[in-house]
Amino acid sequence: MNRRELLRMIAIATGGVVIGGEFLLSGCKNPDSGPDLVFSPDDLAFLDEVAETILPKTDTPGAKDAHVGGFMITMVNDCYTAKDQQEFHSGLKKIDEACRKMHDTGFMKATPQQRQSLLISLDKEAGAYRTKKNQFDSEQVKREKEEHEKGNTGYKREEMTNHYFSMIKQLTIFGFFTSKEGRQGALRYLPVPGKFTGVIDYQKGDKLFAGLT
Amino acid sequence: MPENTYDAIVVGSGISGGWAAKELTEKGLKVLLLERGHDLKHITDYAESNKPVWDYPHRGGRTQKMIEDYPVLKRDYPLNERNLHFWAKDSECPYTEKKRFDWFRGYHVGGRSLMWGRQSYRWSDIDFEANGKEGIAVDWPIRYKDIEPWYTKVEKFAGISGSKENLPQLPDSHFLPPMDLNIVEQDVASRLRKHYNDKRRLIIGRTAHTTASIPGRQLCQYRDMCSNGCPFGGYFSTQSSTLPAAQATGNLTLRPFSIVTEVIYDKDAKKAKGVKVLDAETNQTYEFYSKIVFLCASSFNSTWVLMNSATDIWPDGLGSSSGELGHNIMDHHFRCGASGDIEGYEDKYYFGFRPTGFYIPRFRNLFGEKRDYLRGFGYQGAASRQNWSRDIAEMNIGGDFKNMLTQPGPWRIGATAFAEMLPYHDNVMTLDKSKKDKWGLPVLAFDVELKENEQKMRVDMMNDMKEMLEVSGVRNVSTYDSGYAPGMGIHEMGTARMGRDPKTSVLNGNNQVWDCKNLFVTDGACMTSASCVNPSLTYMAMTARAADFAVGELKKQNL
Repeated sequence: MNRRELLRMIAIATGGVVIGGEFLLSGCKNPDSGPDLVFSPDDLAFLDEVAETILPKTDTPGAKDAHVGGFMITMVNDCYTAKDQQEFHSGLKKIDEACRKMHDTGFMKATPQQRQSLLISLDKEAGAYRTKKNQFDSEQVKREKEEHEKGNTGYKREEMTNHYFSMIKQLTIFGFFTSKEGRQGALRYLPVPGKFTGVIDYQKGDKLFAGLT
Repeated sequence: MPENTYDAIVVGSGISGGWAAKELTEKGLKVLLLERGHDLKHITDYAESNKPVWDYPHRGGRTQKMIEDYPVLKRDYPLNERNLHFWAKDSECPYTEKKRFDWFRGYHVGGRSLMWGRQSYRWSDIDFEANGKEGIAVDWPIRYKDIEPWYTKVEKFAGISGSKENLPQLPDSHFLPPMDLNIVEQDVASRLRKHYNDKRRLIIGRTAHTTASIPGRQLCQYRDMCSNGCPFGGYFSTQSSTLPAAQATGNLTLRPFSIVTEVIYDKDAKKAKGVKVLDAETNQTYEFYSKIVFLCASSFNSTWVLMNSATDIWPDGLGSSSGELGHNIMDHHFRCGASGDIEGYEDKYYFGFRPTGFYIPRFRNLFGEKRDYLRGFGYQGAASRQNWSRDIAEMNIGGDFKNMLTQPGPWRIGATAFAEMLPYHDNVMTLDKSKKDKWGLPVLAFDVELKENEQKMRVDMMNDMKEMLEVSGVRNVSTYDSGYAPGMGIHEMGTARMGRDPKTSVLNGNNQVWDCKNLFVTDGACMTSASCVNPSLTYMAMTARAADFAVGELKKQNL
């Protein structure tokens, strides 16, 4: 079993919503970041707070401890398509607007409870959107295949844009659980297991093992 | 002996070339090992072997810049932030695709032995006899008994972990202890065995890892960092195994940056005199001479060397008199299978990161069964508990969500089929002289496709796994076919096939070029058919066997 197949299988298992694995497998295409797509220090602080709301510090470290905001910026700048970059950037404003609508205050001034209830509603919205997107995208794949079989080889399928909150959440989880703080502070970090044991007992609450990869 | 003269020249330092160098030097020959790429020293040059994921800015992923720079590598997993430096640069060594062909190469000492999947399986007589019985291509000139002792020899040295199963279609190796199956795999294995009346088996992957000690190597540490190079020598590679053995004899000269451009053919003696080398750093050319030459440069590059040699006698190159040189390209087609959920094991987990999965040996078209296609496939898969990347529908934000993600999730199990591809004369590579690589050398053009036999098989490859999972109690089983392009298996072979007749094959039963008896080809190019099992172990055994034969013939002064 190769690592490649394992990743592929995991991606298939979760219907393509896998976080991290998706990047490792398909990567990112054709980004072309214009000058309007630059992140400011305020954006960094904003992303850190959004990430911290998704994965807050508890008895284990949170997203801010793991510098997830900065990680998101690196990934969006280097790996995202132009379309996804646009959507991600406009998402920051959309979150703030949605917060004003729901709580009469901007996201940065909102309380942790207000932030949480906002993001829960955005997450629901993003989930419903993803269902629609998956349906649309798979219909397009089918359509493309049919058109190509008919000889219309120029036909290119369309794809619905990713939802900004899905991207933020994916990057938050991927960034946190591949960070030093996340691995060492929130999981059972095993850089050199030294052995493989096929069956061990598990009790609810025991953490995941995580290694170097 | 003059400075540029040796007893033997070995071209290529990957799995096959490493074995040729080891065997020939240990038999007392002075050997020149030529490698087109740079040197890469065991342990000290594995720059990424202890690097944690967080030290990569994109955590192992790929950037837009990488995608632009690597139009071929981007097609599958080789384009990644971790071991990119182990893969040949697309821009330096282009090729032509008459149809899409994915060619993933490793140009450095050790070749792809550093990045290989390490799955190691013997062939059986079912494989060696298939062509002859079915009237496909040509019959293999050898049978299992001819190669069996060589499998044993290379396994003892390389270290292959696995379980004894006594299966006719997948003979047991000389094994190191097997790695464990986990609890779900164990239960699914016993349910399959019962349901299919022992006709189908789920076993642990047979893997070239040190599960017990081997001189000069440390035990596998189960870090799952293999593809960055292993500082423990936990898996077989040229660097961990064959190269140090060859160097210990004092008979080896290793010359990196040496692109062999042709075999020098002496038409009066009808023998190879040596090789011409283009220095990849200085662009200077050199000639080296020897009594025998082993081409182990990977299937297509060994064939490329032949196509560029003795063209004054054979316009299509040395070994082309049969008309088969460059034809019969095979790979293993894969990327389809099934996966699903399984419940009832929430109180079990596993420890460590196992560098293999389970294997389900071929069961189709065996023991009297006949499908509407020839040959078959095996499955590679795994069961595991989901990690933090899983979707948790009911709880999506906040501290409780984070704590859920820090714990193992539900179990999943799935497998991908790896299938045999038949040798077709019109699946072919040719020289494209209109295009040149970084060194001004003509490139290869590929014209390869799957045909009806493979396409029919892909239906079973999905549905059989679905059925096996469902009869084992797995739920929500879904099938997939992620699409396959020839070459993606990175098991390319067949372009200088062995045979019984010089009119229909390039090599004889001892890997000698029919047209040039002191020239041997022992990498994947020699394969007459593909079987469905991973090929590297067979290349090792084939190389050791040919080396033994070559030295015997030298002693008898037949070469």
